[in-house]
Amino acid sequence: MVAVMRETILAASAAVLMASASIEPAQAHAFLDHASPAVGSAVPTAPATVAIWYTQDLEPAFSSLTVTNQAGQRVDLGNAQIAPAQPNELQVGLKPLPPGTYTVTWHVVSVDTHPTQGTFTFTVGGG
Amino acid sequence: MDLFLIAARAVHFAATISLAGVFVFECFIAAPVSARAGDRNAVPARLGRHLVRLAVISLALLLVSGAAWLLAIASNMSGQPLAAALLDGAWLIVLTQTRFGEAWLVRVGFAAAIAICVVIGRRRGWAVTARWAALLFALPLLAGIAWAGHGAATPGAAGDLHLAGDILHLLGAGGWLGTLLPFTLLLIEARRDGDAPSLASAGRAARRFSVLAFVSVALLLFGGFVNTWFLAGTVPALIGTGYGRLLLAKITLFLATLVIAAVNLLRLSPRVAAAGRGAGARVLVWMRRNALAEAALGLAVLAIVAALGTLPPGLHAEPGWPFPYRVEFAGLSLAVKVAFALSLAAGGAAAVATVALAAAGRYRTMAACIATGIVAAGVLWLLLRPALEPAYPTSFYAPAEPYSAPSIIAGAAVYTANCALCHGASGKGDGPAAAGLPVHPANLTEAHLLAHTPGDLFWWVGNGKGNGAMPGFAATLTPADRWDVINFVRARAAAVLSHDIDATLSGRAVAQVPDFAFEEGGTQHTLNGLLRNGPVLLILTDEAPPGGRLTALAAVGHTLTEADLTIVALETASAVDEASRPNLTAPLFATAASAIAPILASFRSPGDGGETELLLDRGGFVRARWTAVNGNLPDAARLADFAKTLARLPVAAPSHPGHSE
Repeated sequence: MVAVMRETILAASAAVLMASASIEPAQAHAFLDHASPAVGSAVPTAPATVAIWYTQDLEPAFSSLTVTNQAGQRVDLGNAQIAPAQPNELQVGLKPLPPGTYTVTWHVVSVDTHPTQGTFTFTVGGG
Repeated sequence: MDLFLIAARAVHFAATISLAGVFVFECFIAAPVSARAGDRNAVPARLGRHLVRLAVISLALLLVSGAAWLLAIASNMSGQPLAAALLDGAWLIVLTQTRFGEAWLVRVGFAAAIAICVVIGRRRGWAVTARWAALLFALPLLAGIAWAGHGAATPGAAGDLHLAGDILHLLGAGGWLGTLLPFTLLLIEARRDGDAPSLASAGRAARRFSVLAFVSVALLLFGGFVNTWFLAGTVPALIGTGYGRLLLAKITLFLATLVIAAVNLLRLSPRVAAAGRGAGARVLVWMRRNALAEAALGLAVLAIVAALGTLPPGLHAEPGWPFPYRVEFAGLSLAVKVAFALSLAAGGAAAVATVALAAAGRYRTMAACIATGIVAAGVLWLLLRPALEPAYPTSFYAPAEPYSAPSIIAGAAVYTANCALCHGASGKGDGPAAAGLPVHPANLTEAHLLAHTPGDLFWWVGNGKGNGAMPGFAATLTPADRWDVINFVRARAAAVLSHDIDATLSGRAVAQVPDFAFEEGGTQHTLNGLLRNGPVLLILTDEAPPGGRLTALAAVGHTLTEADLTIVALETASAVDEASRPNLTAPLFATAASAIAPILASFRSPGDGGETELLLDRGGFVRARWTAVNGNLPDAARLADFAKTLARLPVAAPSHPGHSE
C-alpha cells in the first residue's frame, strides 16, 4: 500500500514537473513598460516631466535618465529620480521645450541586479 | 567577467545549500537515529565530527564566494571592470544602497550566527540547542538568496508569489541536495563497522531520508511550478531561446537525478534492513554510489542555475522556431482540447510510472505502462494532426515595433511604396499589376490575415511566399519597416473585420484597435493608458460638436465610471474648434490627429451614419459594435453590464510592447 502511494506521489510530482517544463521563467531584466510622453508619440504641448515605468523595481544608485534635443544638448533638469511611492517609475523634470524632436536615453539597474538601457524619441508641437 | 560571476554564484549556491543541508540532516535524521542506537554504536560520534567539518568548510566557501559575488555584481551594476569596482568602492555602494547589498548583509549576519552555534555546540550539554539554533539561521540564510532574484524585483502580487515560489524552491534544494553528502557520510560510517546495529541504524536513516527527500522534492517542484507559472513563458521561448534551452537542460538533469533517487528509494532502501550482514553492506555501497551520483548531477544543475541568472538581455531575444509546423490550438474545439489534455496527462503519468516501476524492479507492470504510454502518444498525434499549421523560424517573434499609431502611419507609407502595386491600395489584392500575375495576390483584409502570427507575416514580407509568387523584401526593407507595414496591414484588416461585429458581446477577440495618443482639455492620454483602468467605449464620430448621444452618456457618467468604463469620443472627419466643445465631464472628447484619423475612420463603415460605437476589452479588441442607425444603442445600465463582463475577461494575448533596447 505504501509502495503504491509512493509511486502515486512520484507520478504526480513528475507530472507537475512536466507541466512546468512548458513554461519559461523570463523577464529577468527591467524593460520599459510604458512612458509619458508615450514612446514615439507627438504631443501638442511641451510636457514638464518625462516619466518611464519599468517591468521591475529599480536601484536608485545606478539608474539614470537624460533628455536631449536634436542638437544633442541636455534639456532635462538633471534631477532624475525614482518616484517616491513607485519603485518601478523613473522620472526627470524638463526645461521649457520649444517644438522639436527629443531623445530620451535611459540606463537602469533592476533590484535583481541586471542592467538594461535604451532610447526613444517624442515630438513636441506641430510635428 | 561573466564566467567569474557564474562561478561565484555556483559555489555560493552549493555552499549555502550544503550548510543548510548539514543542519537539516542533523536535526531530522542523525539525531533521532542516534537516539535510538544509544551508546552501543560508534557511528554517531564519528558522523558528528564529519558533519562539523562539512559545516565549517561550507561556511568558509559561502563567505569567500559571497564576497566574490558581491564584487562581480558591483562590476556588473556600475559597468566597470572587476578591479575598478573593487578600488573605486562600487562594491560599497552596492552593499549600502541596493537591495542586493541589504540581503547580502543580513545573510552574512546569519552566517556569523551559525558559526557561533557551531562553536557553542561542541560544549557539553549544548549540542541540541546549538543544532536547532543553527537550523533556524541556516534556513533564512538559504531562503535569502531569493531576494537577489527576479521574484523580489517584480512589482505587485505576482512578484510576491514568485518570491514565495523561489523561497520554497531553495528550501527544497537544501532539504534534498544539501542532505545527500551527510547521508553519504552516514552510509560510509555504517559500512565501516558493518555490524547489525550499524546496519539497523543505516536502514532507519535511509527510511527517514526517503521521507525528507520526498517532502523536499515536492517543495522543489511546487516552488519551480509556481514561479514559472507567474512568469508565463511560452513553449517557443523554451525551445527557441538560449535561456529556454539551458532551462530544458536543467530539467533533464533534474529528471535524471529523480530516476536515481527512485532506484534508491524503491529498490535499495527496503533491502538494507532485510538483507543479511554481507548483503546489507553491499546494498549500502550501492546506495552510497547513487547518492554521490545524485549530488554530482545536483552540482551540474546548480552550475546551470548560476548561469541562467546572469544571461544578458540579448538572450532574452526572439525565439527561433526550429520546426516546419506549429500547433494552432485556437482552432480546436473544446472537446478536442479536453481530449488532448487528458491524453497528455495519461501519457505523462504512464511515462513517470514506467520509470518508477523500472526503478522498483516490477517489470511486468512496467510493460503495461509502456503500452498505455504508446496508446496515449498515438491519440495525441491523431488529435494534433488537423491543428498543424506551417511555421517559419520567425513565427513566434514578437513585433519589434508596437501596434500603435506612429508605427502604423510609417507602415502606410511603406505599403504604398512597396505593396500597393499588387495587393492594391485597399489591400483587397486588386492592384494595377494584379491582373497580369499567374498567382492572384492575397486579399489582406480577410480573416485569414489575423489568423497568421505577426511572425508568419514577418517571414513572408522578408522572404517571399508561394515559390516566388511574392518576392521577399528583406534586402530593401529594414526589419523596422517590415514590422511597420505588418502593423499597418493588421490594423486595416482589423478595421474591415470589425464591421461585422454586432451589438451583442462577442466571445472572440479578433479586431484590435491600435494604440494612439490624443489630448483632451490639456491632458495627454493614450488608448492603452486608458485600457489599463478597464474597458473603453470608443465613439468615432464625424459630427462636431457631438450630438445628443454624448450628452446623454455624460448625464449617466457616474454609473459608467463605477463600472470602470471610460468613454472616448473622437472626431475623425475634420478639425474641431476647441471653443465649441460642449462642457462634458464623463466622456473624453477630442479630435484625432490627422495622421491616425484615416485608420480610425476605417473602423467605421459607410452605412454607419453620424457615429460608430466600439466597445473595447482591456486588450483593445472590439467586443461589441453599434450605431445610431440600426437603433439598438444600449442604455447606461446595459453598457455598465457589458463593462462588468469585459472587466472579468482575461486580456487576450496582447502584442508585446517593443523593448526599447
